[in-house]
Amino acid sequence: MASRSAQGDVPTSGRWDDGAETAGFNTKRKKKLAGIYQALNSDPIDVAALRRMAISEGGLLTDEIRRKVWPKLLNVDTSDPPPVSGNNLRQMSKDYQQVLLDVRRSLRRFPPGMPKEQREGLQEELIDIILLVLERNPQLHYYQGYHDIVVTFLLVVGEKLATSLVEKLSTHHLRDFMDRTMDNTKHILNYLMPIIDQVNPELHDFMQSAEVGTIFALSWLITWFGHVLSDFRHVVRLYDFFLACHPLMPIYFAAVIVLYREQEVLDCDCDMASVHHLLSQIPQDLPYETLISRAGDLFVQFPPSELAREAAAQQQAQKTAASTFKDFELASAQQRPDMVLRQRFQGLLRTEDRTKDVLTKPRTNRFVKLAVMGLTVALGAAALAVVKSALEWAPKFQLQLFP
Amino acid sequence: MASEMESSLEASFTSSGALSGSSVFLPPARSRIFKIIVIGDSNVGKTCLTYRFCAGRFPDRTEATIGVDFRERAVEIDGERIKIQLWDTAGQERFRKSMVQHYYRNVHAVVFVYDMTNMASFHSLPSWIEECKQHLLANDIPRILVGNKCDLRSAIQVPTDLAQKFADTHSMPLFETSAKNPNDNDHVEAIFMTLAHKLKSHKPLMLSQPPDHGVTLKPEPKPVMTCWC
Repeated sequence: MASRSAQGDVPTSGRWDDGAETAGFNTKRKKKLAGIYQALNSDPIDVAALRRMAISEGGLLTDEIRRKVWPKLLNVDTSDPPPVSGNNLRQMSKDYQQVLLDVRRSLRRFPPGMPKEQREGLQEELIDIILLVLERNPQLHYYQGYHDIVVTFLLVVGEKLATSLVEKLSTHHLRDFMDRTMDNTKHILNYLMPIIDQVNPELHDFMQSAEVGTIFALSWLITWFGHVLSDFRHVVRLYDFFLACHPLMPIYFAAVIVLYREQEVLDCDCDMASVHHLLSQIPQDLPYETLISRAGDLFVQFPPSELAREAAAQQQAQKTAASTFKDFELASAQQRPDMVLRQRFQGLLRTEDRTKDVLTKPRTNRFVKLAVMGLTVALGAAALAVVKSALEWAPKFQLQLFP
Repeated sequence: MASEMESSLEASFTSSGALSGSSVFLPPARSRIFKIIVIGDSNVGKTCLTYRFCAGRFPDRTEATIGVDFRERAVEIDGERIKIQLWDTAGQERFRKSMVQHYYRNVHAVVFVYDMTNMASFHSLPSWIEECKQHLLANDIPRILVGNKCDLRSAIQVPTDLAQKFADTHSMPLFETSAKNPNDNDHVEAIFMTLAHKLKSHKPLMLSQPPDHGVTLKPEPKPVMTCWC
């Protein structure tokens, strides 16, 4: 417990204290391993404890444990026979060509030293899993990036179990991404800016002025960062976290990354291209444990229910932007960006109460919240609350969050 | 011209900064920017073409583009430094409907790409063109058609005369190239440079007369242009 509270001080400085970390590392790891096995061996299995372990520092530690715990987090019975299909899916599936193209090109997802033959075998399995899940769930639609998620499960748990896990995940956490259209995905992206606004209004306003949009975070969200992180260990660590949490957690994590890079963003030219370019190049040396605990903390402080109104307002603001699109286009054709911005701001001010709201909202309010955040980031409190919300969500499996 | 644009940019950022409470933002003098969006079916080589132009080589391995990627390169045209921004978009249809839309804003030119070894990618062009029309209000934005993978000679499915006919119908110049074959390296370079030259000369033309290439099949009333100098 002492080491945990010491940890809690670290994230506020934005860095992970390596020295103090290594000292107690082995002890903590052993303790955690014991805790995980205890939860696995208790009857009934202590899923809440496993969720806590998946969220807290280091996640589930090894792939061997992941093979045991991931099914529990997804409520998949490993003794059930894996799904199979009697059909020749490669001939029948409308998605086969697209899946084939994407999987063939996804060489980076496999360990660098892996022999070509082995990799190609896995790629074939990857195609089979995807086509099978799609066949069994005709309401699901393939998207580019889905293969980045499936490959992670394939590499950790193997083909048979991966099929069951991915099927469950696809009908729950990923359900919104697999709609016929990407409208719900877009809606989830709309949570990004309100979260940033809660913590750092200056950064939020800068990004709004740059009109950077949220597409830089699209691949993060729909691949659970599998598409953009090159170190597989980081990817599985994040999957531990996301599997244990509410399906909107990846968007909180995306916000935390942007917030972490505040200074870089503010130093950037205030235009769409510069900010999009900066943010879409994700640094590979992120302090993952710190960011995970911050994301958990933000989730607790600003739960989705609280942000829903602001996210909807984003949609509204976009509509406004669309209606003033003509003016915008005309002005930009004339190479007068100042005019464009001014018109846009006037338009927003005239029609959007939300904007007025944001501008007049007392800033102190947020600084108070920030201070609170500093106190609560210690994983314990936040993780517990996150687990609680995950549990509240999990039994119902309600993914229809967005009407 | 460029400096005037800069000063108005600064003014706008200062005012928006005051409005939003962010710090005053004064960018250093910047070069003119041409924003070009690259669209077409999945796997036609959009990423490789843009990478070839911006990095000067064929990428070792590329993956599916998710959403929109961005690359840029600074070039000098007639003594003026110009930044060419290439917006490389996802090919899968579901991404264009609600996602890519945002990136059509302010584009100065459009590059349609098809795969010369894949007839389906050629047949998709009309829907790409239609979609582009919906997103872009200005009708006279330069558009070009690029057939990629011309190095795979034995696998060609789209004959040049067919593509040329299509390009003529839509008043676009056609280029056949390969992002991969080093012999065609200059060709990729030449395509984007031609486009950049066109853009550089495009705007003054807009003031007095329609651009020479921009004879559209369905002429629509152009937005009234006031002088922007």
